[in-house]
Amino acid sequence: MDSSIITDLFREFTPMAPMLVMLLGALVMPAVSLGYKRRGGVAAVSLAAIAASLLINAVLLASGYSGEYGGLFGYDAFSGLMILLFQSVAFLAALVSASSTETTRLHFGAYSSLLLAATAGMMFVATADDLITIFVGVELASITSYILAAMKRKDPRAAEAAVKYVIIGGLSTAMTVYGLSMLYGVAGTTSLDGIAASLSTAGFSWAFGIAVVMMIAGYGFKIAAVPFHMWAPDVYEGAATPVSMFLATGSKKLGIVVFFKIFLLLFVAGSAVASFATEEVQYAFAIVAALTMTIGNVVAIAQTNIKRMLAYSSIAQAGYILIVMAVMSEYALTGGLFHMFTHVFMKGGAFLIVGALICVGVGEKISDYRGLGRRAPFLAFAMLVFLFALAGIPPLSGFTSKVILFSAAIFDGDGVMTQWIWLAFVAVLNSAISLYYYARVAKAMYIEKGESEAKLKVPAPFLAAIAVCLALTVILGVYPQLLLDFCADAASALFG
Amino acid sequence: MIYDLQIEIPYLLTLLLVVPLVGAVATAAMGGKRERYAKYVAGAFSAATMLLATVLLFTKDMGVYDESYSWIESAGLRMSYILHVDGLSVLMVFLSGLLVFLVTLFSSREGDRPNCFFALLLAMEVGLMGVYMSADYFLFYIMWEVTLIPMFFMISWYGGPRRHYAAIKFFIYTHVASVVMLIGIFALVFQSASGGVADFSFQAVLNGQFSDTFQAMVFLLLFFGFAVKMPAVPFHTWLPDAHTEAPTAGSVLLAGVMLKMGSYGIIRICLEALPQGAEHWQWLIIATGLVAIVYGAYACIAQRDLKKMVAFSSISHMGMVMLGIGCLSEAGIQMGIFQMFAHGLITAVLFMVCGLAGHNIGTREIPLLGGLASKMPLFAFFMMFGFMASLGLPSLVGFWAEFGIIFSFYEYASSNGMLWLIAFCLIALLLTAGYYLWAMQRTLFGRLTSKIDLSHVHDISRPEAAALGILCLLIIAFGFWPQAAFDFIEPYVGSLGAI
Repeated sequence: MDSSIITDLFREFTPMAPMLVMLLGALVMPAVSLGYKRRGGVAAVSLAAIAASLLINAVLLASGYSGEYGGLFGYDAFSGLMILLFQSVAFLAALVSASSTETTRLHFGAYSSLLLAATAGMMFVATADDLITIFVGVELASITSYILAAMKRKDPRAAEAAVKYVIIGGLSTAMTVYGLSMLYGVAGTTSLDGIAASLSTAGFSWAFGIAVVMMIAGYGFKIAAVPFHMWAPDVYEGAATPVSMFLATGSKKLGIVVFFKIFLLLFVAGSAVASFATEEVQYAFAIVAALTMTIGNVVAIAQTNIKRMLAYSSIAQAGYILIVMAVMSEYALTGGLFHMFTHVFMKGGAFLIVGALICVGVGEKISDYRGLGRRAPFLAFAMLVFLFALAGIPPLSGFTSKVILFSAAIFDGDGVMTQWIWLAFVAVLNSAISLYYYARVAKAMYIEKGESEAKLKVPAPFLAAIAVCLALTVILGVYPQLLLDFCADAASALFG
Repeated sequence: MIYDLQIEIPYLLTLLLVVPLVGAVATAAMGGKRERYAKYVAGAFSAATMLLATVLLFTKDMGVYDESYSWIESAGLRMSYILHVDGLSVLMVFLSGLLVFLVTLFSSREGDRPNCFFALLLAMEVGLMGVYMSADYFLFYIMWEVTLIPMFFMISWYGGPRRHYAAIKFFIYTHVASVVMLIGIFALVFQSASGGVADFSFQAVLNGQFSDTFQAMVFLLLFFGFAVKMPAVPFHTWLPDAHTEAPTAGSVLLAGVMLKMGSYGIIRICLEALPQGAEHWQWLIIATGLVAIVYGAYACIAQRDLKKMVAFSSISHMGMVMLGIGCLSEAGIQMGIFQMFAHGLITAVLFMVCGLAGHNIGTREIPLLGGLASKMPLFAFFMMFGFMASLGLPSLVGFWAEFGIIFSFYEYASSNGMLWLIAFCLIALLLTAGYYLWAMQRTLFGRLTSKIDLSHVHDISRPEAAALGILCLLIIAFGFWPQAAFDFIEPYVGSLGAI
């Protein structure tokens, strides 16, 4: 495909084109909401902005475009793919927000604007080539997310969630700033390439060690890795469900992208750094990954609120993705990227169903889902597919992506066993455990009898979004090649 | 080949997957007012699948049906859609086709959401056919898991009073076993990867070089996965629960063809790909087999529920298969495979009979029954026939299998100076004859029971009798002419060679 239309239009700003469009959308949203009183109209404009941004990115990605702007932003196969991921999440969230009853009391113009701004922040991080731009992007996404979580002002749970989120978010920001400044002190530059180059000649220093620990902890909060995960279930439970979906599938990936950018670039692409501390960092990540998936899954078993259960399951899924950071191979990154995508649609779909059901008066307790198989056959079936995909039951997308991701811990791409086999064991056993709590929801929906037999009719935008997630969960399962080649390109782009 | 019909159906193996799949969707769509006709749709599709499977038995060279297409080729992985049928799988494919058709016929009275019921049966058939035909580990694992979900719903929607517990237990046990198996599969595939490409096809793994330690380790993982499915003591406890609660059709398929997935996997994967591993763990295979034989038979005696007794007898008979395989001799493996086929036919009769007892009499509690032969002569005939076939009456199919396995084991034991192990087999045979005859005596003969209300008791209906009759005819036919099956098994076991 030819990207000349876009390069002609945006000239030297082309690497930032998708973000600029998104940001423009965020800026005009409040004005639009003054003109349109109906929420549907506002939502349509925000969807148009996302769609335009998505289109630009799709053309750039498909044409294999790569370029950079001032050493601060660079667009390549990796950033293009991650931008696509954030855009997909934003699209799903924006599609359903206007018809959700949880957002009726909010100022919808502000809500849409914040949603677009948060997405733009995430996309900036995906292209960032410099510690400063990474930091600014993360903050843009985080601060807008705090407000999104807090917007349900009248709900005490939302207020509590938002306070927790802000305090813990602030703490993590403080840690990351500290870590980043240490890194700057050691390397003398903020550009990622420059840091990799200067560290390749430096020996081990304590400042560097502290920087690494601070960054793992700070961004560990963002992805809710154990032991930095406590805030996530409260926030996901308290926020409006479209926002929960946005946070669980998008915001979490933001932290992972930062991990990929900083650590993979420093330790693998800047290969000379490998001479010190790499093993230790890998082990640290392996332990965090194992703890995150195990604690996420085990605690999920005890949950009775479905949003909390999905929150813990998200924590566990982040643990699976952290396998990439332990293994640090191109093949693992391919699997990790693929799993990030499949996770968007299976977890996103599950959250959307929860949101759709809240709109028609079904509660958030798992016991409220009794008899759903008869009351809403399509939703129940879709939920079953999403949950089975999350548990890794073939032939759904979650199975295929887990196969690739977990196998990366066994096999290094040349038929040689890696030292991370134990991690693959932990991951596979965790998948089996997770089936238990997913099956409980399936049991409630299909096997137990509910109090009401009345059929449920959910808003059409929800149905459309769920149908998209359902289709992609099945298609990426039976035909993963659709996306896998892009993931492989992205992985090789990051590894250089 | 039994007889060469000289017909060739293009894409036969794919059709064996597609026809039941289309059937499942079509049947599931027959909801609401049309649900009365669901059984006819399901019957037509399952009959078509059975006929297609039967064609395989009458094909001179099954190799012409092999199919292979590239599926996923990316990021150093190669997964393909490869279907292959040989002497090991052809009998299982036939058995799956046959049993699904017969249970559809047998369950024609099903009145509660029949469209879902028959759709689940056909969905299960897709998975079963897939497991027995796939020659790619990725496809194999997918199909393996596909069989779980319909069975889970079959038990939890149509089962007995404790069905939820049984369904979840079944699901968790077999799923945990299959993820352990999956780790074993990863190890096999990635160890045999060459040129940076991990090829999931069976053939690529066969070409791989594995050290003895590797074989021993991976064998254990895979063996665990398959043994839970078979099931081997002490991982068997899901089976009696699942059987007791499952509807008759579910039980027939579970015991008739799903348990065989375990023994099929042991032969197809453990023996073919890891021969040294099998030798290393031969004692374990034999021990598991012996324990299952004796324990299963012993537990049967204590059962009050007719169906639970039959479930435990399945454990005992699948132990026979394990024992045959454990001999690691040509005769032993041949007889093990034949026992898989024989047990599939016989156990179908037994579970149908148990289902009829529950349905027509109202209870399966042995102590409550008695003297039913006079009241239900047809039922009594089939029950006797099934019991006799199962305890190994000469001239019926079970005799050859059990006799052959014990004979092979005798050879193994005597040449290794462990002849005393034969005692376990003899005890098990004695127990088997004992519990069957005793159960028969207590249910069919003696004075007509007065413990239950017999006013509504009625004999077998025509479709049920037809299903049972077909099975009995096959049991007699293969009893008189086992060579028809050995014609398939012998060349396959011969090709295993290495052992």
